[in-house]
Amino acid sequence: MRWKEALTKAIVAPMRLFLVFIFFFLAGCSKPEPLYNTQSYIFGTLVDITIYGEPEPRAQEVSNQIIHGFQDLHNRLHAWRPSELKTLNDEFSRGNSPVTIAPDIAVVLSDATKLSIQSKGAFNPAIGGLIEAWGFHHDEFHPIKIDETKIKNLVHANPQMTDIMIKDGKISSNNPAVQVDLGGYAKGYALDIALASLRKQGVKNALVNIGGNIIALGKHGEKPWRVGIQHPRKPNAIATLDLESGWAIGTSGDYQRFFELNGKRYCHIIDPATGYPAQGVQAVTVLIPPQINAGTLSDVTSKPIFIAKPEARAEAAKAMGVENYLVIESNNKILVSPTMAKRLTWLDSLAAKHVTSALQ
Amino acid sequence: MTRSTINISTTAEDHHIAKLTALAIGLHIIEAVIPSPLPGVKPGIANIVTLYVLYEYGFATAAWVSLLRVFASSLLLGHFLSPTFVLSLSGAICSLAALYLAQQLPKKYFSAITLSICAAFAHIAGQLIVVRLWLIPQTGVIYLIPIFALAALIFGLINGLITTKLINQKS
Amino acid sequence: MSRLPYSSDTSNSHLKPLIGDWLVIIISIVAVFFMFQQFWSFEHASQLRIRQGNKIIGTYDLNQTRELHIKGPIGESIIVINQGKVRFKQSPCHNQYCVHQGWLSHAGEVAICLPNQVSLQLLGAKNTYDSLNY
Repeated sequence: MRWKEALTKAIVAPMRLFLVFIFFFLAGCSKPEPLYNTQSYIFGTLVDITIYGEPEPRAQEVSNQIIHGFQDLHNRLHAWRPSELKTLNDEFSRGNSPVTIAPDIAVVLSDATKLSIQSKGAFNPAIGGLIEAWGFHHDEFHPIKIDETKIKNLVHANPQMTDIMIKDGKISSNNPAVQVDLGGYAKGYALDIALASLRKQGVKNALVNIGGNIIALGKHGEKPWRVGIQHPRKPNAIATLDLESGWAIGTSGDYQRFFELNGKRYCHIIDPATGYPAQGVQAVTVLIPPQINAGTLSDVTSKPIFIAKPEARAEAAKAMGVENYLVIESNNKILVSPTMAKRLTWLDSLAAKHVTSALQ
Repeated sequence: MTRSTINISTTAEDHHIAKLTALAIGLHIIEAVIPSPLPGVKPGIANIVTLYVLYEYGFATAAWVSLLRVFASSLLLGHFLSPTFVLSLSGAICSLAALYLAQQLPKKYFSAITLSICAAFAHIAGQLIVVRLWLIPQTGVIYLIPIFALAALIFGLINGLITTKLINQKS
Repeated sequence: MSRLPYSSDTSNSHLKPLIGDWLVIIISIVAVFFMFQQFWSFEHASQLRIRQGNKIIGTYDLNQTRELHIKGPIGESIIVINQGKVRFKQSPCHNQYCVHQGWLSHAGEVAICLPNQVSLQLLGAKNTYDSLNY
């Protein structure tokens, strides 16, 4: 009766596997996860903190601390409401002599300057004047009447971070057009601060999301944290990827802050060279490996890629040291760097068809 | 008058196998020409011939018919050594391997339907491996795996039923 | 060419699948089903969580037809639940991004009205992802 043995083997082995699977499935369902999640509105956007594996009161305490830190940072770096940064900008425009600044803000400004130089001016936090001219210095923005002369003058004035000098705790600018706006920096910087603070508090697993920029610490239980990337034109996610501990992801999109005028979309990402909102791209996503300023880089480095001409995108990414990036162009073409392609799982079958690999 | 043709003695069985191979090639080409709503999803009706030959003449002959079909069809369609050919070949090899294993199962309990389903799954697995490793090395393909698997199940079942009917008609 | 005992095996002289075939068919169906679950984790959401500011307003079943009015700092947002999907129907905000986002139906999807600080988050048994990058 050899066949009988064979049959038993053929049936029993998969059955056993199946039962084991069912058991784990049910076991996984019955126990609630030690997952704490909180949301708040800071930096003019949604801040979402998820902590895994800590008792709830502890997770709540740590989250509150981080949220207070964010609130404080937001109040100090606000670009158009009274803040330390606004005070500096006012002094710059009046051409006043050096003023005292807080040491941590001095560090932020010199780091932003370094990144601006690295991007050859494509990331330029000194163009607050332009951003204001485009009406993005409001919680809500309305289509503006485009003032070509004003924009031209602002570009011509050529405000650069290198116009700022910091010496002995005092700051000055030799260009009155410099108006520092850390809109493309502060959220990422806050992620780095949050990560450092979580680590200091001994939290092992957490995910912090500030307006779409995310940094991961540890894992979600057995699995890595998984992040969805928003489709720039649909309500769903276009792809997912696993965000391992210390990695950060950031997206610059034309769909978060924009207005439409005469059927044309004007987004908040302004090309410092032309003074006009960048066109032709719907979203740029960058994925940054663990490093001291991973959060900051996830916020900053997507901008030069967003602004670059299609043929110069790979070069812009390289200049910023970005290996993993995803570009969704207005013509629905999707450009993915080879290393990024390996990490993505497409959810949108239509999108997956339009993917081309970006050669480096 | 000298005869320059080489004479090979053939049996009626050889002729029959040749006819079956020709039929398999024909079915393969018909399928290649008919557009499919989803690229890659095809009923694989040529596999009916492979299965039929397996039952009637044994595994070795079935393997010959299957591989001859892949080579001859690709030559006729002008796909030889193209990605389409490699896909076809890897699918055929994997499904033959599956058939070899599946035919060891007790025939009292497992009919051509089992063999057909196993072959269909193996066929698609072979093709997906090539796609993943060589053609589109992107994780995006995994999105399509369930569709391919479902198609393999449905067409494997249908082809198995047809084969069973053919074998029964003969006997 | 020797014939294998296959053709002489006439125990299979009917069209109906044998017991082993049924087993294979059932295992295959289960396998395909799990593949869909595994690779198409595009799971339809079952619940909706609404937040205003940093408070959870409530968690609602998606399988109902209902209209909710949520008060925020600049007015009242109207949210409609309609048998498995949800959307912002009306919002006091100027840019109306939240309304334009349309219907949400998959677990993990999020719609946010920043000016009114109202967020909708769809929950499912298994979320496709932990957080959304936008």
